[in-house]
Amino acid sequence: MSVTLAHTEPSIAGAGDYIELMKPRVMSLVVFTALVGMLVAPGHIHPVIGFAALLCITVGAGAAGALNMWYDADIDARMARTASRPIPRGRVTPGEAAGFGFTLAAFSIVALGLLVNLLAAALLAFTIFFYVAIYTVWLKRSTPQNIVIGGAAGALPPMIGWAAATGSLALEPIVLFLIIFFWTPPHFWALSLYRIGDYARVGVPMLPVVAGECETRRQIWLYTLLLAPLGVAPWLLGYTGPIYGVAATVLGAGMLVLALRVRREQSGHTACKQLFAFSILYLFLLFAVLLIDRVSGGLFGHFAA
Amino acid sequence: MTLASDTMNELPRGPANERQPRAGIRLTDEQSRARRTRSIAIALALGAFVVVIFAVTIVRLGSNVLTRPIYMQPVQPTQGTK
Repeated sequence: MSVTLAHTEPSIAGAGDYIELMKPRVMSLVVFTALVGMLVAPGHIHPVIGFAALLCITVGAGAAGALNMWYDADIDARMARTASRPIPRGRVTPGEAAGFGFTLAAFSIVALGLLVNLLAAALLAFTIFFYVAIYTVWLKRSTPQNIVIGGAAGALPPMIGWAAATGSLALEPIVLFLIIFFWTPPHFWALSLYRIGDYARVGVPMLPVVAGECETRRQIWLYTLLLAPLGVAPWLLGYTGPIYGVAATVLGAGMLVLALRVRREQSGHTACKQLFAFSILYLFLLFAVLLIDRVSGGLFGHFAA
Repeated sequence: MTLASDTMNELPRGPANERQPRAGIRLTDEQSRARRTRSIAIALALGAFVVVIFAVTIVRLGSNVLTRPIYMQPVQPTQGTK
């Protein structure tokens, strides 16, 4: 039997293109929040096991990013923010991205299950499934609530980290989940307000496109009203010392002030850009203070007392 | 299944074909460079994977990793049994 293979150009994708495919900036936030979830959990996890868990979570997040870029390549090519991604640029073919993403997803889930524990692996599998199938394939192009519900995928890493360390779940990682879950809408809608043309052009029903700028600004304000007290909740529930409480209160007040400015902004998007930038700092600092508070063994609390 | 490299063997041998360019895919400099970086990245990733598996195995099993029985000891009959 003779079969003639279809002619394909040899790949020009370098290692850097594949790293770009994994969304390294998103991955860094995932790794950081998972690390915090792991380190604030009670008990002790061996550093080698902890490192292996973190590596699997990192690779799993990268796999989800690659699969997202594979599925969204058609709209990425027509949006200014995403047009330079590896697939629209022609560096990586869609097939290569899909193969890369599915392989890494399978490897990371199986490795996490074998090296750490099954609960963490199940949560990682659910996170990848939720981000790719629920958010990317289903919600993103069908409802303005896409990033609200889809935000659950980005909020799960602290729970995976906690599960890796303890083999179980508790209220505290759920609070961390809720903080990121309610942080996502103000963060993402602030961005989409000044990228509204991109989303409208490709038909993605982001809230500003569907409901208008005024309604989006109102909802940013409402979600921030929920986020600010949630940020303080770990201290109110007795999980952290007062230094975390003070930091969370100050950072939450900063978010509220900027969200109020966004709501009152009549023209231009200066406040939106400020809120978007500050929201990244907010989440990073909140988790960093939480980590320092816990790792220092309540040291701050003793000084403050 | 016929690959491009297989077709090279089917070329008639002779002076007329001595100077003909070889059939098959020729990589450009960019393609060669990209393949090299991919190969290095895969090698590094595989090496890291082996190290992680080794380290986790040692941590999980501890010193027991060296004490596995190679041959089963024959079971001694209990005294007093017939």
